[in-house]
Amino acid sequence: MLKDITLGQYFPGDTFIHRLDPRTKLIMSLEYIVLLFVARDYFSYGLLFAYLVLIIAVSKVRLKIILNGMKPILILVVLTALLNLFYTPGNTVVSFWVLRITDAGIKNAFLMVIRIMMLIAGTFLLTYTTSPIDLTDGLEKLLNPLKKFKAPVHELSMMMSIALRFIPTLIEETDKIMSAQKARGADFETGSIIQRAKALLPLLVPLFVSAFRRADELAVAMESRCYHGGQGRTKMKQLILRPQDYLTLALGVLLAAGTVMLAVLGL
Amino acid sequence: MVPIIKTEGLCHRYSVGTPFERAAIEDIDFEAKRGEFIGVIGHTGSGKSTFIQHLNGLLKPTAGRVYYEGRDIWESKAATRETRFKVGIVFQYPEYQLFEETVYKDIAFGPKNMKISDDEIDMRVREAAEFVGIDSELLERSPFDLSGGQKRRVAIAGVIAMGPSVLILDEPGAGLDPRGRESILENIKRYHEATDATVIMVTHSMEEIASAVDRIVVFNRGRIAMNGTPGEVFSRGEELEDMGLSVPEVTRIAKRLRELGLPVDTSVYTIEQLKSILLSLKGGGRGA
Repeated sequence: MLKDITLGQYFPGDTFIHRLDPRTKLIMSLEYIVLLFVARDYFSYGLLFAYLVLIIAVSKVRLKIILNGMKPILILVVLTALLNLFYTPGNTVVSFWVLRITDAGIKNAFLMVIRIMMLIAGTFLLTYTTSPIDLTDGLEKLLNPLKKFKAPVHELSMMMSIALRFIPTLIEETDKIMSAQKARGADFETGSIIQRAKALLPLLVPLFVSAFRRADELAVAMESRCYHGGQGRTKMKQLILRPQDYLTLALGVLLAAGTVMLAVLGL
Repeated sequence: MVPIIKTEGLCHRYSVGTPFERAAIEDIDFEAKRGEFIGVIGHTGSGKSTFIQHLNGLLKPTAGRVYYEGRDIWESKAATRETRFKVGIVFQYPEYQLFEETVYKDIAFGPKNMKISDDEIDMRVREAAEFVGIDSELLERSPFDLSGGQKRRVAIAGVIAMGPSVLILDEPGAGLDPRGRESILENIKRYHEATDATVIMVTHSMEEIASAVDRIVVFNRGRIAMNGTPGEVFSRGEELEDMGLSVPEVTRIAKRLRELGLPVDTSVYTIEQLKSILLSLKGGGRGA
């Protein structure tokens, strides 16, 4: 049940994409999201779609995993499609009762659905191919310039890696406490909403207590290894941009140029 | 007499239908009589924890059946729920399940879920607290202010207060100092004698198990490898060591003495037994 969450999961591998510098992947993902909103019509969408297919093929992430990841947003996709279908003005194709479907509506609905799905797939590919540690390392390095403005970049990325690290631990802990309370007759599954919310108390209190305890222990463990923030801290794994990163970034520039050109031409 | 708890061909597989699928326990036939004190030992990952969670319906078997007093516990929802109260489980490190404002309320959580009268709850809470050696003045304190050992006692009391006919404990002494372990074991023994409940205790400590239980069940790779009296089980020391388990110190000494040529019975497991054997040997030596 709880263990089956795949959102934001990392699937280890050794492909061109896996080996890229996390900064490259972060930049490319961000660029991809922006370009998806620049795209205007079938041709620009087609270009971005081709790029996505290429990345999926090279990263060897199974299509089933990507489709599985989209399950949670299915409702959003359907809702977007319906709204676009019925509320876009244009030439009426079909109409019944108060609803009418226009040719522009069909096109809009189709493109919007494609856009959302490509958006999700593109961002998922980042987390599927990048380990959480690499991701936070990359993020810290990318945001480094903000340190000049006194932004706590290192602290933020450290918080992020700790949070990611403890998600599985907390899930396991939740399972354990749930079993223990169920053994004492706690009932998490039946009753009204208020009853169910109340039933969560025996689960949440121990969970918070243990989270605080773990935080405390972790802080002591870090301090006893002389951790005192990011100042002067060196890294075991240095992030270096290699030829394949420059190649990918160059591809990114081409992709951006192409999409913008097609969009300007209205294609 | 119908056994109080019985399993037939119990199997449990985790992550069914994924590449991670694996069997945690396979083909477990187990029986416990009313009033028995049973020890369960096994290496980490041998399936003993998975097994005990089946006995009160926390886990649903992939195959096989669990009976409480001859009735299938998965027969109906009501039966499963009833079994939860009849078969109490104290998990490993149970102190992490405490959540109420006071010790009293925490112990009362189980009985309250049973929907019994307030007077009855009050009686049970006080009785359970006494069994585990929690003074009545502690009952109004917050459970988070207690020491580790006291928290553990409160958590055990929380299960005892439900008045289970079968009490299952998963390593009740883990992480406590020797004195704490001993006194918790004493409390459990006292509860067993006073109530005639069946007690099933999972433990790593051979000494602990040898001195308390009527029967030992050994788990290995998801199956029951041995099932017998402490004497029977510990006399198979080599097999136990192959499974990554040990025998009590006393048994080990007896075995070594036998290797050195003394006619010592290697199924002894308490100091008293070994003492009487050695004394009789000594006496015999003098007589000759």
